[in-house]
Amino acid sequence: MHGDHGAMLRHGRIGAAVLFVFALAFGWMGSRIEYAFSSDPLGPRTFPVALAIVLAVLAALNFLRPGRNEGWPRGATLVGAVALPALVCATGLLFEPAGFLVAIFVLTTGASRAFGASWPRSIGAGIAHAIGWYVLFGVLLEVQLPAGDLFKSLLKR
Amino acid sequence: MNLDYLWTGFAVALTPTNLLIGFVGAFLGTLIGALPAIGPINGIALLLPIAYTMGLPPESTMILLAGIYCGAEYGGRISSILLNVPGDAGAVMTALDGNPLAKQGRAGEALAISGLASFFGGTVGTIGLALFAPALAALAIGFGPAEYFVLMVFAFATLGSMVGSDPVKTLIGCTLGLMLATVGLDPTSGAYRFTFDEPELGDGIEFVVLVIGLFSISEAINILEHQSKGGEIIKVLGRSLARLEDISKCVWTVVRSSVIGFVVGVLPGTGASVASAIAYMTEKRINDRDGTFGKGDVRGLAAPEAANNATAAGAFVPMLTLGVPGSGTTAVMLGALMLYNIQPGPQLLTERPEIVGGLVASMFIGNLILLALNLPLVKIFARVLTLPNWILVPSILVLSVVGVYSTHSSVLSILLMLGIGVAGWMLRKLDFEMAPIILGFVLGKVMEVNLRNALAISGGDLAILWSSTISQVLWVMAIGIAVLPWFLARRMKRLRAIEAKAEAADLPED
Repeated sequence: MHGDHGAMLRHGRIGAAVLFVFALAFGWMGSRIEYAFSSDPLGPRTFPVALAIVLAVLAALNFLRPGRNEGWPRGATLVGAVALPALVCATGLLFEPAGFLVAIFVLTTGASRAFGASWPRSIGAGIAHAIGWYVLFGVLLEVQLPAGDLFKSLLKR
Repeated sequence: MNLDYLWTGFAVALTPTNLLIGFVGAFLGTLIGALPAIGPINGIALLLPIAYTMGLPPESTMILLAGIYCGAEYGGRISSILLNVPGDAGAVMTALDGNPLAKQGRAGEALAISGLASFFGGTVGTIGLALFAPALAALAIGFGPAEYFVLMVFAFATLGSMVGSDPVKTLIGCTLGLMLATVGLDPTSGAYRFTFDEPELGDGIEFVVLVIGLFSISEAINILEHQSKGGEIIKVLGRSLARLEDISKCVWTVVRSSVIGFVVGVLPGTGASVASAIAYMTEKRINDRDGTFGKGDVRGLAAPEAANNATAAGAFVPMLTLGVPGSGTTAVMLGALMLYNIQPGPQLLTERPEIVGGLVASMFIGNLILLALNLPLVKIFARVLTLPNWILVPSILVLSVVGVYSTHSSVLSILLMLGIGVAGWMLRKLDFEMAPIILGFVLGKVMEVNLRNALAISGGDLAILWSSTISQVLWVMAIGIAVLPWFLARRMKRLRAIEAKAEAADLPED
């Protein structure tokens, strides 16, 4: 049957089409870069536009022969594949307002859970990660870490 | 030949601080290499921002990163042998004979032989690097902007033809990297390109953000998807000394493979996976008379290990002398130097001998440290194989977030890293490799600047790009290497046809 093969072809072609559209958008933006003067004959537009043309050609070739690909995850794997980036995103957003300890606790607890640890284990790991990494980075290596606006306001009171 | 830089380098590398840094790098590198989930690029990407924010001078950072790189090539073999899952791309071939040996109860011997082969390969590669780098730098000192531009074209041609299964995909990766490099302020015209009025993008996409996104974040999602994968760990190591007869059997194999590894490493863009494959195939062709390869032949184990360690050293030659990295990992190290505003090129050797020399000297020392670490402590390193993903991956994520945040204290960097990581993961699902994107990115600015400088000199006349002898030679080489795989494919087809005939006639393989 050609079911799998057809799906693979479709996935590959969608990818190639997205790259092609990206090339067009990049080229269009590149051709509209504003500048007052340029000390060289090419200027700032030529190189990006040339790259866009190269990518468009390569994407078209890739569309014709998309080759191997894996296909998208389904079910529980898909949930994980969405949850992990969502966790990192949440960590980024929490990092400055809630501080290093809380953000890292959320990130590592969630990620441990996503990789199959039980809830108690995940929470335990989260606490250990938050404290352990804080000692390593904040105390030993003296990296600037956000204390968190939350704690700062508590301390001020 | 002038090797003064090397003596300067030994003076740098032998200071107590740098010795300690080299040791830490070698140790961490072996651990990173042994972990099946993360390879040298990942390890370097995660530790680079920490080294940078700690305020290490550039030569110390390079010593740390080189230690990790070489260490990972040693460590990769551990999981190949014990788990039958390669710890990094260079160790794929190691599993072919290493794992069968381990299954025969000779895991300890396999680890010892591959450790010795690694040491020999690494040392031969570093000697080659020490001798070859000044020569190539002297040759390249006459390069003008036009020659540099053509050199980049040559590098991409090599990459497209040697790396990955699909040249189109490899070249798409390079182009995407080049595109990402155009983001930010264009110095010659003062134009802001693709910054979307975001002031933080004015300096361009940060290297650390790109590397950690492409490798660590996408790898984390990738591990989540392929969790069930994992073989049986071999626990019985047996005697952990190599037999003399095995060593003597491997001598010429190791010598040949080291040379192959070094040469492949010097070629821009081709890394350990290509080198170890070529070395293994060569030895199989020469030595496999009784069909022992693939069933636990020590030579099949020694060949890829010697080759991939020699490659690691060879890959530094073009990176340090031409500014064109020889592998994905050296591309990351080139980016590391750029963090310090150092642009590697033929002048680097004379202007900053402490960096080049320190690096080369630290690789000699590092190989000794690695041999000393790896022979007795292999059982400890083997333990990390049992580290469960629910501990490992959250740690990778913490290092990613902290690393990216620490270089500029910016939350936007974390989100940008995430976006790049997700895009990278999707590209990986479509069977794209990440290394070409990094190579494109680190070469992008240099390529554009040299093209524009060349055309500024000629007043816009494109002929300057092929007017000198050096550029003509480079063009011929670029075209040659681009055509090579097509030619080889036809030869392979013929070979396969002959093989099929032999099989049909029930003849033994030659």
